[in-house]
Amino acid sequence: MSRATTDESALQQRVAALEAQLHEQSRQTSELKNQDALKTQFLANISHDLRTPLTAVITHAEILRDGILGPISDRQRESIVGIIGGGRQLLEMVGEILTYARGAANQLSLSRSQFAVEAVIDQVCEMSESLVARKEHSLTVDLRRGLPRLYADREKLTHVLSNLLGNAIDFTPPGGRVWIAARLADSTERGGGGGQAVLFEVGDSGIGIAPEHHEFVFREFAQVDASSSRIHHGTGLGLAITRKFVELHDGRIWVESVVHAGSRFFFTIPVRPAPEG
Amino acid sequence: MSVHVLIVEDSVLVTDALRTLLEATDHRVTTASGVAAAVASIERDPPDVMLLDLGLGDGNGLLVLERLAAASVACPATIAVTGSDAPEIREACRAAGCVDVLLKPVPSAILRARIAAAAPSRG
Repeated sequence: MSRATTDESALQQRVAALEAQLHEQSRQTSELKNQDALKTQFLANISHDLRTPLTAVITHAEILRDGILGPISDRQRESIVGIIGGGRQLLEMVGEILTYARGAANQLSLSRSQFAVEAVIDQVCEMSESLVARKEHSLTVDLRRGLPRLYADREKLTHVLSNLLGNAIDFTPPGGRVWIAARLADSTERGGGGGQAVLFEVGDSGIGIAPEHHEFVFREFAQVDASSSRIHHGTGLGLAITRKFVELHDGRIWVESVVHAGSRFFFTIPVRPAPEG
Repeated sequence: MSVHVLIVEDSVLVTDALRTLLEATDHRVTTASGVAAAVASIERDPPDVMLLDLGLGDGNGLLVLERLAAASVACPATIAVTGSDAPEIREACRAAGCVDVLLKPVPSAILRARIAAAAPSRG
């Protein structure tokens, strides 16, 4: 057998081995993708199913709280209000998991309408009023004049602002400052696609985020403090969903923060015309 | 005269909670746990308002409206009660003829107000 034939045979064997390896890797990738899809589907199913018993718990508690089945004492009412509050918080977390699962499966879409930025910010501030009062924060709003109306998903924008403001309140010690601002900007800022955008800012004078965590906080299941004794609990999905909602609008989101000085979350929502008629 | 509400829901837990709430606040309540049972119940004893869950054991709740239309049976004022706030689900409910769409769990005061608003007025 000539040397050339031996080399060729060795080469063929090597190619066959590489092809087999490639085939195996492709099979493993496909299996992992299937498992990931199953996990996402499981999350969606379990979140949906958790809502049913929670609905029953909350409804029964409201019946008692409202005295529909007979009068109750103030202390009993307080306790029942606690059950309802806990139930609703749990429900919000379940909702976050469901939204995450739908986002992971690319099942989220936008329901656009035209609205004024001011209206959404007013709504969000009103929703946070009691939390702001409880922590004795000063909440300020800075809206530049002449902001255009947005043609966007109002519900999702409300969710984004509520989430950011909720975090700002949560991570700021009592007596601190939180604020919302909005101005018109060029959406090429931070790598946007050009054209005009409304630039929102939600800021606080709170505990801040270390520079190495500025990207990390937007990841799914991220908790900067992952210890079981952490003060701030949640699914770790809030900012990941917020980023998803902003990106669905072709916007961008980022954070600027200094530890012990506070955080400023920025995001853009491109201005686009509403369809005529 | 009390408003007659048909609760179409496949969870006994939720049905019991809603029945307790509505019966204690002067509504007449009937229940059905699936699409076929709901259609039969409406044919037998038409309600003023139907609270319609979408995820039923024997199909999508909106099938109830489809089957009533196919059988030329008058459709009660229908409030869809859904576990999802996806816009496409909301739109599908409206397109199917629901007068209202509520996200579970509906605060009890809001549920009663929406039922009162949906119930045909008795002059």
